[in-house]
Amino acid sequence: MPKRFLPYMTNLGLLLAAVILSLAIGSVFISPGELWQILHSWLTHSPLPTGLETFSFIISDIRLPRTVLVLLTGAALGGSGTAYQGLFRNPLADPYLIGVASGAGLGAVLAMSIHWPYSFWGLLVVPMSAFLFAMVTVLLVYSVARVGQSVPITNLILSGVAFSAFATALTSYMIISSQGEVRRALGWLMGGASQNSWQAVLAILPYLIIGLGFLLMNGHALNLLQFGDDQAQQMGLPVLRKKTLLLLAASLATAAAVSFSGIIGFIGLIIPHVMRMWWGADYRRLLPLSIIAGGVFLILADILARTMMRPQELPVGIVTALAGAPFFLWVLRRAKNQGYW
Amino acid sequence: MEIRALKIEGLTVFYGKRCALQNITLEVPRGLVMALIGPNGAGKSTLIRASSGILPLQSGKIRTNGDEFSSLTPMERARVLAVVPQAVALPPAFTAWETVLMGRTPYLNFLGQTSKTDEDIVRHALQRVNALELADRRVGELSGGEQQRILLARALAQATPILLLDEPTAHLDLQYQVALMQTICQLAHEDHLAVMIAMHDLNLAARYADSVALLVQGRLEAVGSPAEVLTPERISQAYHLPVQVVPHPFQQVPLILPGG
Amino acid sequence: MFRKSIVLLISVSLLLAACAPSANPTSVPTATEAPATEAVTSVPTIIEVPAKPIKLTDGLGRSIELPGSAQHIVSLTPATTEILFAIGAGAKVVGRDTFSDYPPEASSVTDIGGSMGKYNTEAIVNLKPDLVIAGGINPPELVASLESLGLKVYFLANPTTMEELYTSIKTVGSLTGDESGADNVVASMDAKAKEVDAKLAAITEKPMVYYELDATPFTAGPGTFIDLLITRAGGTNFGAKMDSAWAQISLEQLLLADPAFIILGDSAYGESPATVSARPGWDALTAVKNKMIFPFDDNLVSRPGPRLVDGLEALARLIHPEAFK
Repeated sequence: MPKRFLPYMTNLGLLLAAVILSLAIGSVFISPGELWQILHSWLTHSPLPTGLETFSFIISDIRLPRTVLVLLTGAALGGSGTAYQGLFRNPLADPYLIGVASGAGLGAVLAMSIHWPYSFWGLLVVPMSAFLFAMVTVLLVYSVARVGQSVPITNLILSGVAFSAFATALTSYMIISSQGEVRRALGWLMGGASQNSWQAVLAILPYLIIGLGFLLMNGHALNLLQFGDDQAQQMGLPVLRKKTLLLLAASLATAAAVSFSGIIGFIGLIIPHVMRMWWGADYRRLLPLSIIAGGVFLILADILARTMMRPQELPVGIVTALAGAPFFLWVLRRAKNQGYW
Repeated sequence: MEIRALKIEGLTVFYGKRCALQNITLEVPRGLVMALIGPNGAGKSTLIRASSGILPLQSGKIRTNGDEFSSLTPMERARVLAVVPQAVALPPAFTAWETVLMGRTPYLNFLGQTSKTDEDIVRHALQRVNALELADRRVGELSGGEQQRILLARALAQATPILLLDEPTAHLDLQYQVALMQTICQLAHEDHLAVMIAMHDLNLAARYADSVALLVQGRLEAVGSPAEVLTPERISQAYHLPVQVVPHPFQQVPLILPGG
Repeated sequence: MFRKSIVLLISVSLLLAACAPSANPTSVPTATEAPATEAVTSVPTIIEVPAKPIKLTDGLGRSIELPGSAQHIVSLTPATTEILFAIGAGAKVVGRDTFSDYPPEASSVTDIGGSMGKYNTEAIVNLKPDLVIAGGINPPELVASLESLGLKVYFLANPTTMEELYTSIKTVGSLTGDESGADNVVASMDAKAKEVDAKLAAITEKPMVYYELDATPFTAGPGTFIDLLITRAGGTNFGAKMDSAWAQISLEQLLLADPAFIILGDSAYGESPATVSARPGWDALTAVKNKMIFPFDDNLVSRPGPRLVDGLEALARLIHPEAFK
């Protein structure tokens, strides 16, 4: 096998292991052997071995949709975090830099303050509102930061900070003056899939395909942007158009991911760095690898979130930071002497 | 249509309210090395940047073969004109090879996939600047001189008839300055490139350039052969320093000495 | 280095996998504990009642149909758990949320999560309930996700008056087939409340009461049960003039109103007469000077359940001890 496939095989292998673990672990342990039997009977439409019917239901209706949703969310955060770091040429950039998280939070809490009818659409209002406000915030930040034909990075960051602070303050005010939605709002803000259904997966899938798909096709453009806007344009990149589209694509994926899962931090910041340390700085590889690794990491964090304090379930945003920080420090120690950025 | 020269006509550039370049008209035919000289702040870098199409023009045109530069897409421009910037703040993690390969962008598909032809061109470019042995080193580990050669190789890989260089000798040791200038001249004459170099060292300009353009405070004071432009009056006035110009002891070029 | 990282990651994964089978509490307790609960609540369920379909409209406006009365119930809120046990349906409760701590028998029922709003849906499904009762604090998303797993969920909206509470209790009774048990509970609650009313009938003075929900400080505003109970217990709720149900107040407002009583609903979180007296500026309050600060079990007045009348009586005894001699 050519050496250049090694990173992909490694990441995909880890992904498979993570998915199997996620399907196996829960209130009852379903072994990989039983998982295989269940999968086999689904694929061949043959009847299940006796005793596995409950397991089959648990897998198909509880664990599998949850695993897929978590995988997609982690993938979106890993991919867009990489894109943001490339666009801003800043190792501290993460997908929430220009307001997606604060906008989504405001949208969600606003929607929660109104009592919607209990219906198909009524239940979708909170995620839709989060998504809408997230994208509107990004667009506002972008248009304020734009100066004629260019969008200077510093302007974007400052504009993002200002809008984020404003949105967060509004959100906090709403939470404090709310009548009892505090628990619900805080639960959402701390992250963790609350609607683990195939419905949620289908709702976010188109945005992820569009957003992440666009990013994956523009690894070369991100490489060029590392040389600065001037040099990138002199080498033939239509810089303003590319940066705008990349920003929108990354924000789209992030907004979709957080609309159902709440604000999960750390992944978009750290996964790109780990991938960079292990596999190099070429964005054509970094993007797909970060997308896969983001999924792996969030699946593992989600497993911890639901097993660490059974039967309680921690918000996964807490776990990603608690578990992720030591992991990152360990990786950093191994790589600190190499100029990997 | 074949490109014969870089033509800059009546170029005017403003930075906010300040006029950085006023009504610049220059022509750099292929096969010629033109040095842009002038004190700091005169607009040399601005002219390079504006000529490469990345600055908005208040007025004026850049033409390469009858086509106005501004009517071309960035990709088309990149096939016609390449820029060697100063070697500062380069992404340190890319290798020299990967960096030079970036220069092939105008000829790659949107996914950035490279072919054997591209790789041959990159190898050839590195050889011409004597940097092939640096290919697998990370750019962050290279010296200033080595980085500058890599950037020159990158511009060569871009395979354009026009080459612009922005103070390439600025941070280099003497031997690298001379080596770089010799390489550039050789490339210009052998490959028939139109080359415009912004530089601050007057004697290097006198020695290696076929033509010299003197910029002072955004205006083109003079353009012509080194002997024509590098007169004591002009230089003293431009640099606010009395200078003497004497014939070079070994070459047929002027030698500028500070002090009256 | 990469290989080591991979090995480490796989080892961690295997470690997690190894942890999993040993912690499987959900199925075991119900098997061993069920007989114990049946012994305690000696409800005569041996009589076979023919299954009669039940149809009710729940708090979210949905029509809920059951083929017969519910026999395996999961309760998602502490108040519902208390109601279920009080009306005699305790043996039918197969799962309850973490915070259901009353009556003591509830503690041995399977815990299905619920802190920070996150319930263990797998555990709920494994218990195979025929009814899940959700309460006012559960968001509609939760109801929807449980229903998408094929569970039947009845949303019991939060009552705001005693009459609404009685209706809630009777509704639970209808759901479980314990109508008579529910009627008994309602009747005894009503009798006790009226007894308190009678004892307070002669009282004319209604001293001001400050009920503290949180040390920030927060108090109970208008429209809450606490407000209602304080008033019925013969006091005037300081929080009645606030704008919202969960109202933040300032020391200044307290000083101006100068309540006669300070009742600490947050005593479970560490507040006591000592800590309150130590707060800067609070010693100017009459209640602090006269040592009229009382810790209080907030669960008696904040859970919309059968113990609300106990809360009423406790408040009345605090505010008007002379009526209970």
